[in-house]
Amino acid sequence: MSTTFRPILGSSCARATSAVEMRYRIDRPIRGRRGARIIALDAGADAIVTRISRNPWGHAHFLTLAGPVADVSGLGSDSVALRDTAGAPSSLLAELDDADVVIMVATTGSDAAAATIVGAACTVRAIMTAGLVIGERATVNATVAAIRPHARVLMVSGDEQDVMDVLSALRA
Amino acid sequence: MLRAEINELLTKTDPGTPMGELFRQYWIPALLAEELRENDCPPVRVKLLGERMVAIRDSDGRYGLIDEFCAHRGASLWFGRNEGSGLRCPYHGWKYDVTGQAVEIPSEPEHSNFCAHVKLTSYPLVKIGDVLWTFMGDPAKQPPLPEFEFALVPPERTYTSKRWQECNWLQAFEGGIDSSHVSWLHSGGLKSDPLFKGTKGNEYNMGDLKPYFEVADAEGGLFVGARRNAEEDTYYWRITPWVMPCFTMVPPRGDHPVHGHFWIPIDDENCWAYSFDYHPVRALTAEEVQAMKDGHGVHSENIPGTYRPAANKDNDYLIDRAAQKRGDTYSGVKGIAIQDSSLQESMGPIVDRTKEMLVSADSGIIKARQKLKKAVEALRDKGTTPPGVDPAHHHVRSAAVVLPRDASFVEACREDLSVREGVRQSSV
Repeated sequence: MSTTFRPILGSSCARATSAVEMRYRIDRPIRGRRGARIIALDAGADAIVTRISRNPWGHAHFLTLAGPVADVSGLGSDSVALRDTAGAPSSLLAELDDADVVIMVATTGSDAAAATIVGAACTVRAIMTAGLVIGERATVNATVAAIRPHARVLMVSGDEQDVMDVLSALRA
Repeated sequence: MLRAEINELLTKTDPGTPMGELFRQYWIPALLAEELRENDCPPVRVKLLGERMVAIRDSDGRYGLIDEFCAHRGASLWFGRNEGSGLRCPYHGWKYDVTGQAVEIPSEPEHSNFCAHVKLTSYPLVKIGDVLWTFMGDPAKQPPLPEFEFALVPPERTYTSKRWQECNWLQAFEGGIDSSHVSWLHSGGLKSDPLFKGTKGNEYNMGDLKPYFEVADAEGGLFVGARRNAEEDTYYWRITPWVMPCFTMVPPRGDHPVHGHFWIPIDDENCWAYSFDYHPVRALTAEEVQAMKDGHGVHSENIPGTYRPAANKDNDYLIDRAAQKRGDTYSGVKGIAIQDSSLQESMGPIVDRTKEMLVSADSGIIKARQKLKKAVEALRDKGTTPPGVDPAHHHVRSAAVVLPRDASFVEACREDLSVREGVRQSSV
């Protein structure tokens, strides 16, 4: 016959949720995100991403499109050329190699083809995608519609600060 | 992850704190009307936003919320005699009306004017629906009364309960806008709870465990949309409104009543979870009301005579590992409300958000914190009235709808997300 043991210590019984016991939560950094990629999809987003990249971040890479991606048909991930905010060239394939989340930042006139290719490349690699569209709702409707199919999470906001807050919350 | 100072800013609500001042801009639930059942009934101790008070209903049916302690020697007026249109301290007979004004001080001469000079702090207490609401801010800035639909429909269409939750209000509230936990923690309830089960929406819910999320600003707060695959060319959207600071509604299921919550700070380590169910166009059935009283849906089975859940931290929420193994419940804890409270309380009285590791699916929570922070700072620095004070912001509904895949829920559901008198909720 098995014996059921009843917990008796403060940390192993119902009292474990008290403020006193919660002080004993292990206080060491938890290993986590190491590969946030933030990609601007238009000129307005370029400016936002460049400004935000000047803050101290962890392992995040801040990127903009090196040129327009005119047409999706027949093109693969290698058709999206990127550059970092210092101007150094990169590629979508290289950036996705060790990415664990891709955040597409957009305002108006975003490159829908780029969003499609980035989204599809992330889906294939099981990388989480998020879309942050900055601007008044009425002015960004077309951008939202273009990004919606490719972003597992989509936030529309009139406030650029949202990008900072999301990245901070995600430990980018 | 949230910086420690922001966590403190958003979680502390005592008098003089920035978030405490924000809460004091709103009418908030103070207690249930059933707690003051009749004129001259016993007073009820109430603690809200770190202030201790007593609630009374006088001989004339007037409600009042006044400082708990007698101005004379500081005895608790909970021991008072509620009679003759006032509450009398049994220690030396000082008597107060519902506004806290002293009306009799027996030790003073018969026509002394001392009495007129003595007034306890008091707050208005108003019955709307099943709830007694109070406004604890500057009387000069008292806004119009709240206009939430659940409180304004005829009494036979609405039911409200409350339960003590032993943690800070913010971590309880954040559960209310966190759509992604439903398919996990509450998955058992979708199959069996009488107030949830048997809808097409549940099939969509369980058929797609990786929803996409969309967060959109609203005048009074946010709309958080979660979309799942429905049919070949459609998505199933569940849309949760949040009205600042702490009102949320759960997207409906079929023709079941619609439910939602308020999370009201008692102090920094405790809050009241007010849970309501209502139907916009029909009376609740006897079976539905009984299910709510029995603790189904968003309600809880409380210890008789109290608002403490029968399953609580002192008994490990009556966790049933066998039921968990059988799949009756996902966590082993019974009931939607206690499934939530057990995990939210397990985080500690005030969760240390510097240690959390959010993911992008938590964007609703991230955005809500940002809106709260901005509102707190705008009020503190510029005196700006926060969103959600204007009763027009209260006229929202949740919705659960099937939309074409290319539709924006914000555009397509504008009417569904608004109160429309005589029109049922939008739900599948």
